[in-house]
Amino acid sequence: MSVLKIEALRKTFGGLVAVDDLNFAVPRGSIYGLIGPNGAGKTTVFNIITRFYQPDSGRILFHDGQEKVDLLDYRVHEIIKLGVARTFQNVELFNNMTVMENMLAGGHTALETNFFQEVFRLPGFGKKEKEARRKAREVLDFLNLSGRENQRASAQAYGMQKLLELGRILMTDPEIMLLDEPSAGMNNRETGHLASLLKSIQQEFEITIFLVEHDMSLVMNICDRITAINFGRKIFEGSPEEIQSSEAVQEAYLGSEDE
Amino acid sequence: MMFQDKLINSHPYIKYIIVTAVFFLVLLIDLQFIIFTSRTINLLIRVVYFGIMALGFNMLLGYAGQISLGHAAYMGLGAYLTAYFSNHMGWNFMIILLLSGLIPMALGIILGLVALRMERLYLAIATLGLGVTGQMIFQEWRAFTRGFSGIRLERPEILGFAFNNSRHFLMLITVILLLVIILTYNFSRSRTGRALSAMRDSEYASQSLGISLFKYKLLAFAASSFYVGIAGSLYAYAERYVHPSTWGVELSLDMLAMVVIGGLASIGGSLVGAGFLVLVPRLTAATPVLADITNMNYILTGLAMILVIKYMPYGIYTTIDLKLIQPYLMGRSGENFRYQDLKKESDS
Repeated sequence: MSVLKIEALRKTFGGLVAVDDLNFAVPRGSIYGLIGPNGAGKTTVFNIITRFYQPDSGRILFHDGQEKVDLLDYRVHEIIKLGVARTFQNVELFNNMTVMENMLAGGHTALETNFFQEVFRLPGFGKKEKEARRKAREVLDFLNLSGRENQRASAQAYGMQKLLELGRILMTDPEIMLLDEPSAGMNNRETGHLASLLKSIQQEFEITIFLVEHDMSLVMNICDRITAINFGRKIFEGSPEEIQSSEAVQEAYLGSEDE
Repeated sequence: MMFQDKLINSHPYIKYIIVTAVFFLVLLIDLQFIIFTSRTINLLIRVVYFGIMALGFNMLLGYAGQISLGHAAYMGLGAYLTAYFSNHMGWNFMIILLLSGLIPMALGIILGLVALRMERLYLAIATLGLGVTGQMIFQEWRAFTRGFSGIRLERPEILGFAFNNSRHFLMLITVILLLVIILTYNFSRSRTGRALSAMRDSEYASQSLGISLFKYKLLAFAASSFYVGIAGSLYAYAERYVHPSTWGVELSLDMLAMVVIGGLASIGGSLVGAGFLVLVPRLTAATPVLADITNMNYILTGLAMILVIKYMPYGIYTTIDLKLIQPYLMGRSGENFRYQDLKKESDS
């Protein structure tokens, strides 16, 4: 059963074909990896799925367990309500806001106070706001970020910012998390911690994780299944072991032997 | 120390209420014994209505990260509507005040639509154009504004009590300012306020978290237009005269200067900025040598902006708050503890 299914996806920028007839399916509850050399089109695929880019053709079927929808029918700010959340390659935090405010902004769609309740602090506001703060503290606890609630997001170390970005989308109760290079900029110890964290998110929260990653040790360690792409085309799909022994993948990364 | 701690944090807006109460006490004493000159009272009235204006502009620039150089026209619209309603319709003060906010608010959506298409410098130029157009309309639409002759009007009346005494009027608009402050505080620390700030810090991330740029950009412009409309209405009542030359680009630039000098995304900053821009011309006029130089107050305002951006990027109020007030209240370094009241809220 796949939660996300990409069908015949194609995207061009002028004459450049960034994504070319791409097909793959992310099984529910798995950790799925998308790898490829620099410029292979990985982030473009992410940007299409999360609706920042409009593809030339293709379908993106999302199945949340009950109904099947095409994400292309939704706009960029609407897909979070379906349960599709993402992080960014270069951390996109709300830098001038506190850690807690970042978390609460993450819970934007889940928090259902309206304008008049907020401005006049009408009944119903306090309860909902408190509930959101409680949940935010729980997630911060889980990520080992508690005690930093009132510090500015920009004052955090890079690794912490990465975790905070992860925490922010956990606030949305997603079905699937799209992580764009979650370990970029982290040291070995932090990457090891991230690996176990992602494993426990997969198991405890039952969230499907779909990630683009450059750190091969992390990918091989945690991914259940991997698709490798180059020049926007799928060159191989399989388990981490199969990927490692695939000639097509080795060729894409290192060049062929004949040259 | 403990007592102050508890008092300040027991209720988030207690500090605004305390300051207002002290201010009121001073005004009551003044009412009995006439300590201040009427010039000082008029100066304070200006600070209050400019304070409301700066709060509105700060909502746009400080919280939502959008810019407009056409807001003077919206304030002018509020002032003209008030003059028109009070002279021709004779409606109740509160209704006129509300309408003078709501009508500019509806038109503020036009600015929001422009902001959806443009950013930063281009947005500034486009809104500048709208602002100049507004001023031209005020000059030419004589049936509504009486053009360069201007319109006179009377001070407001509530339940038969006329606020003809400037001291009474100052008290009235101080109460309105306090209400506006409390609403702004509630707004900025809630889902909608956070959505605006999120949009300011990262449009990509906020969109991916479900924050619609369309909705919240329009909302930011509508809300700030409402504030400046209200400020325009109070301007008309305070000065009892509305003239088109007031609503030029200079006023829009003053709003920008107030917010930048006082402190972005800060309620206290808006008020300090308003106070600064009202006091500078008065002080230069009172200083022997400076008074002889034409436009000295503009030079000083510009200089202040440069110095503040260079040495206090968060603005005068926020810097003082961060370096002096917060450490004093908390008994520790102010670094990273900018949002104390928020902390107490989250702890409760």
